[in-house]
Amino acid sequence: MIFKEGDLFEQTFTVSTEIYSDFIRLSNDKNPLHTDRGYAQEKGFEDVVMHGNILNAFISYFIGECLPIKDVLIHSQEIQFKNPVYKGTILQFSAEIAGIYESVNVVEFRYNFKNEALKVVAKGKVQIGLLK
Amino acid sequence: MERSEILSKINAIFIDTLDNEDIVINEATTANDIEEWDSLTHIQLVVAIEKQLNIRFTSKEIQSWSDVCEMLTCIQEKGI
Repeated sequence: MIFKEGDLFEQTFTVSTEIYSDFIRLSNDKNPLHTDRGYAQEKGFEDVVMHGNILNAFISYFIGECLPIKDVLIHSQEIQFKNPVYKGTILQFSAEIAGIYESVNVVEFRYNFKNEALKVVAKGKVQIGLLK
Repeated sequence: MERSEILSKINAIFIDTLDNEDIVINEATTANDIEEWDSLTHIQLVVAIEKQLNIRFTSKEIQSWSDVCEMLTCIQEKGI
C-alpha cells in the first residue's frame, strides 16, 4: 500500500474569475446568490457567493491529478459548507488519510479548505478505490 | 459478542449501506439473495463493517466468504 494513515497532502486553489465563469457555463446555475451582487448583499453576504460545488471540482482535481498514483476512482464524496467563498479567494486545501481498508483497496481522506483568514470554508470526506 | 448480536449489527450495516429497510440476513444469505449486493456495494459493506466494528480484514479472508455464515465466523475470529 502506497498510502498510510496520517499521510497529509496540501494544495492551493484559487477561485478565479475564469473558474467561476466556466462553472456557470458548465452547471448553468445562475442563481442570484451567485450572480447578483445586490441580491447577495441584501442577504448578508459581502459579494456574490461562489458555487460550493466548485470546491468539489477541486477535490476531483486533487484525487485525479495530485496523488502519487493515477490508478484511482472516487467512490464517494461528502462536503459541508461552513463559510462563503468569494471570487478571487485563495484556498488552502488539506487532506489527511483517515482510514485505509486494504482488504478492498479503499482509502478515505478527511479534508478541509481554509480561506486566507485560515477560516474553514468547507470540510468533508472522500473515499477512493485503488485500481489494480 | 454473541454471534446473534454480530448478525444483528451486520444486518443494520446491510440496511444502511444498501439503502433497503427490508433486508433481513441470516447465516445462509448470499449475494444472490440480495439484489443490491453486488461487487461495488460489497466494497462499501466491507468498509462499513471494518469501520463500525473497528476490525480489519485481509483480501484473502474476504475472498473466502461464500455466505454470511463465513463472514460472521471471520468477524468472530477477530475477537469481537
